[in-house]
Amino acid sequence: MSSSLLLRSAFSRNLTHRLAARSVNQARYATSEASQYKYVPGGPIIQGTVNDPTTFPAPSRTHGSYHWSFERLLSAGLVPLTAAAFVTTGSNYPVLDGLLGVSLIMHSHIGFDQCLVDYLHPRKFPILGKVATWTLRTATVGTLVGLYQFNTNDIGLTELIARAWTA
Amino acid sequence: MQSLLTAGRSAHLALGKRAFTSSARRWQAVPQEKPVLMKEFKIYRWNPDQPEKKPELQSYKIDLNQTGPMVLDALIKIKNEIDPTLTFRRSCREGICGSCAMNIDGQNTLACLCRIDREGSKNTKIYPLPHMYIVKDLVPDMTLFYKQYKSIQPWLQNDNPPEKGEHLQSPEDRRKLDGMYECILCACCSTSCPSYWWNQDQYLGPATLMQAYRWIADSRDTQGAERKERLQNEMSLYRCHTIFNCTRTCPKGLNPAAAIAKIKLELAVD
Amino acid sequence: MSTRVLGLGPALRKAAFLPNAARSQVMLRNVVAKRSIQIQSLTPSAGQEILNKQRVVRPSSPHFTIYQPQLTWVASIFNRVTGVALSVLLYGFSIAYLVAPGTFSSENVIQVVAGLPEGVKYAGKAVLAAPFAFHSLNGIRHLSWDSIKFLSLKGAYVSGYIVLGASAISTVALTLMK
Repeated sequence: MSSSLLLRSAFSRNLTHRLAARSVNQARYATSEASQYKYVPGGPIIQGTVNDPTTFPAPSRTHGSYHWSFERLLSAGLVPLTAAAFVTTGSNYPVLDGLLGVSLIMHSHIGFDQCLVDYLHPRKFPILGKVATWTLRTATVGTLVGLYQFNTNDIGLTELIARAWTA
Repeated sequence: MQSLLTAGRSAHLALGKRAFTSSARRWQAVPQEKPVLMKEFKIYRWNPDQPEKKPELQSYKIDLNQTGPMVLDALIKIKNEIDPTLTFRRSCREGICGSCAMNIDGQNTLACLCRIDREGSKNTKIYPLPHMYIVKDLVPDMTLFYKQYKSIQPWLQNDNPPEKGEHLQSPEDRRKLDGMYECILCACCSTSCPSYWWNQDQYLGPATLMQAYRWIADSRDTQGAERKERLQNEMSLYRCHTIFNCTRTCPKGLNPAAAIAKIKLELAVD
Repeated sequence: MSTRVLGLGPALRKAAFLPNAARSQVMLRNVVAKRSIQIQSLTPSAGQEILNKQRVVRPSSPHFTIYQPQLTWVASIFNRVTGVALSVLLYGFSIAYLVAPGTFSSENVIQVVAGLPEGVKYAGKAVLAAPFAFHSLNGIRHLSWDSIKFLSLKGAYVSGYIVLGASAISTVALTLMK
């Protein structure tokens, strides 16, 4: 009984050694084939052998659940803010007007950013993607400043829409 | 052989005279001549032996009254009788293997579960699963799809298995897996998802994500936290925009969109 | 044509237990009969090369051009398009005001709008109201999905048609709003 157990454990150790050697081999093949046909994200060449699982990007809650939760809370917050904009006037409630403006810009920025990640991700478009991302960031800052100016020096967003609508 | 036949016929004649009936055939129902119902199938063709030739739709006309009821029957009839070079995957012909997944009249489904539209004047267009690299005709390269499935580690992981016997589970916990374990990985849902079309190298897609949740939701699995942590990035899970094409197209009537929404909520409250 | 048909089964079985010399004779006969095809042994990396050579010429199958238009993804893409359109308007106006506050002051904007013919005014309002109504209402639909409501196929379709109907009514109401 004990000898057979010993035998079995020796066998399994032998097997794990061989498995380990094989996975090292697989890794070597995977790297050597990359030189001949280049991997392009989304292209027909696939990284690793057919038996290797795909890998995950580095975990980051900021890009994961925190981002998602913030996006949803912001959208949910826009519901009462929009409703309030219908029943109040911006000049009477400038804080509410400003809050709506900032929320709308953040909501827009996240929405644009989602489009960029979907259609112009830097891993696929290394130059165009980066240019688009920085253009968006600049535009968002410009919009924030512009809307701040408009809300402080002029009649504000809600009031403008209300008056233009009935003009 | 010939002599055997004549001998049989003469014996039969002798018997017939004696019984006053000419043959048994008279009592059998005469098979009705079915009218010819021609229908055109336009099928995506691409041959790897002529890679420079662009993919094209090839037209085949068959008589529906000489064909089985399903699109797979039509494909098999075309391959048997008209064009043996037509290439497609099929195996079980009853919707349990997932091999014959393809895009029929604009919808991803299993050819074996999809009835032929018997309107003869309209043609039926058959494409391979959308936005996949094509090996030949209706056969897509599924390598990436399977590698993604493997990446979520689709097996039970438990640090402290029970002393003896099996892992026990309450009927309520078991019920959570209903609607998820039935997935046959035909890839109809993943290849119907626009997000998967644009980002399939990093976004896992509905089929794989539903299986990820199938293991997160399993009360016997203790690796739920690690499983969820792997999805905490911009691409793997959060490219899902709840479009619902997956649920709409699933030939097994499952609901990947709901499973993904549950993962998102669980990650948010973590 | 198996060994049974040829009646060779017992002979071969016997040969298997024969001493070496006799067995090698049988095996030699098998080799001569079967090895008419040359088999080339490849390393895994060489196999991978052949596979990759095939992969690079593979076409990508058609997608949104052949996919049936369904409420699911058509509503989704409209949600994005309307959102982008409204945001572009917000960004455009704010940046324009930042650059030229005089030209894009509220007075000027309202004056320009007031000077438009009645028909253009209504058309313009409808064009603005429709995306706003749809994006807002569909946004609520999305928020309810995110909180695990209406997550069935039926729920998605019923809520989709409700959003479409409500958007149409809201568009008319907003356009006629004074």
